[in-house]
Amino acid sequence: MLLGIKELDAGYGDVQVLWGLNLKVEEKQIVALVGSNGAGKSTLLKVISGLMRPYRGQILFRGEDITRTPPKEIVRKGIVHVPEGRRLFPQMTVEENLVMGAFRRRKDKDIRPELARVYELFPRLKERRLQKAGSLSGGEQQMCAIARGLMSDPRLLIIDEMSLGLAPVIVDDLVEILKEINSRGTAILLVEQDVQLALSNSHYGYVVATGRLVMEGPSEELLQSKEIKEAYLGM
Amino acid sequence: MLAQIVINGILKGGLYALMAMGMSLIWGVMDIINIAHGSFIMLGAFTTYWLFTLLGIDPFVSLIFSISILFVIGYGIQKYLINLIIRASAFITLILAFGIEIFINNAALVAWTADVRKVKVAYGASNFSLGDWVTIPTVRLLAFMLVIVIGTIFFFILNRTDLGRSIRSTAQDLDAAQLVGVDVARTYALTFGLGVGAAGAAGTLWSILFPISPMMGGILTLKSFVVVIIGGLGSMLGPILGGLTLGVAEAMGSTWFGSTYENLISFTILVLVLILRPKGILGGAD
Repeated sequence: MLLGIKELDAGYGDVQVLWGLNLKVEEKQIVALVGSNGAGKSTLLKVISGLMRPYRGQILFRGEDITRTPPKEIVRKGIVHVPEGRRLFPQMTVEENLVMGAFRRRKDKDIRPELARVYELFPRLKERRLQKAGSLSGGEQQMCAIARGLMSDPRLLIIDEMSLGLAPVIVDDLVEILKEINSRGTAILLVEQDVQLALSNSHYGYVVATGRLVMEGPSEELLQSKEIKEAYLGM
Repeated sequence: MLAQIVINGILKGGLYALMAMGMSLIWGVMDIINIAHGSFIMLGAFTTYWLFTLLGIDPFVSLIFSISILFVIGYGIQKYLINLIIRASAFITLILAFGIEIFINNAALVAWTADVRKVKVAYGASNFSLGDWVTIPTVRLLAFMLVIVIGTIFFFILNRTDLGRSIRSTAQDLDAAQLVGVDVARTYALTFGLGVGAAGAAGTLWSILFPISPMMGGILTLKSFVVVIIGGLGSMLGPILGGLTLGVAEAMGSTWFGSTYENLISFTILVLVLILRPKGILGGAD
């Protein structure tokens, strides 16, 4: 087990958002976490990456308890969170953004091979490397955000709402790239409102609604299930 | 005549720029309007005064001390005080900065009395002429050149070092900076240290050119504020442009209307900028 979340309660002050959540990501898996807007997906990600502390519960990464570890240590341990809305550094160039992605590793390692690998995955970013990140198109910004995440050579890449606001053809490209990243050994937790997209491109899936886990199972089975079809796919 | 006025204005404007650089950095990165900024300038000025008066250290040399001492003070204040409330509303940090200002000013009053003092260096009055019309006081020119040196170092730190990258990333997107592993609390402390260190440098240069006293800070905070607003937040160029603009405008105004109007002129400019270009001359650009 790469990532394990046990009985997690979390929220903002008095407003509890997550209720006893359990979730697992195995090595080299792509796991989908789906649910509608406001289900608590982004809150869960903030807790995993250390931006928020949970009320109760435990987060294990490679057998180690990281529940109260600060974000900078979590990055070093190998979890990278690509946040909703890309969140690039808009005044920095594409390449500066990528270099920032390796912030925690730069002192001990040469990052040029990483940079070359990322440019090979995203040739478009190489063309735009000296352009300000804020001036990129939405799709390019998402590429840059994923690429920045890859720069720290994560074992688990968490991507929040990758498809939001992007044209379907661009989303298809990104999905292919994610599969390529996964085939090289990085596990991915894909957090999506687009249930169809997430479940048809993952091994295992979790469905959350109002902060609680309502279903889980192999993605193919979830896609076939009557509840999912009715509640999320409008069939 | 006009050339002389413009040169006087530019020389003073350089000092304004340095004063505002620290304030702009702290404001831009942490959204703190540092009301105590002028008090830190005052502490820098007194550092130089005492090192000169008691130990005979040349004021320009004491720059190293005022920058380092004020850097440490700034780092400590951010780490042990402001960081504790940094997530509260901007109003709370404003009040804290206000409290720090009152504390520093009154501690200085108790320690050093309200006397107005002057750093009297032997070369203070020397000057040289360019052509027949322009006279340049040597200390002012030297101070201006030091502003350029310090500004360049600042620019280098912000754009070419890891610290600079942490500062810029934190300023541009706080969450994203944390997610790539930037230690935000430490970055904040170092940023405040840098900003206050720059105030210390400005204090040293101020003490060489003008009389100093424990209550000198208030008007300097306001001037720094005006310069930041005129230039616009978000780049190093803003304070420089704002400082030079204010320096030249004040020089012209006090020549033509009398020096009592100096402050009236700065704040008229502030109001005009707020009406015409609320984001400053460079606002919105980068």
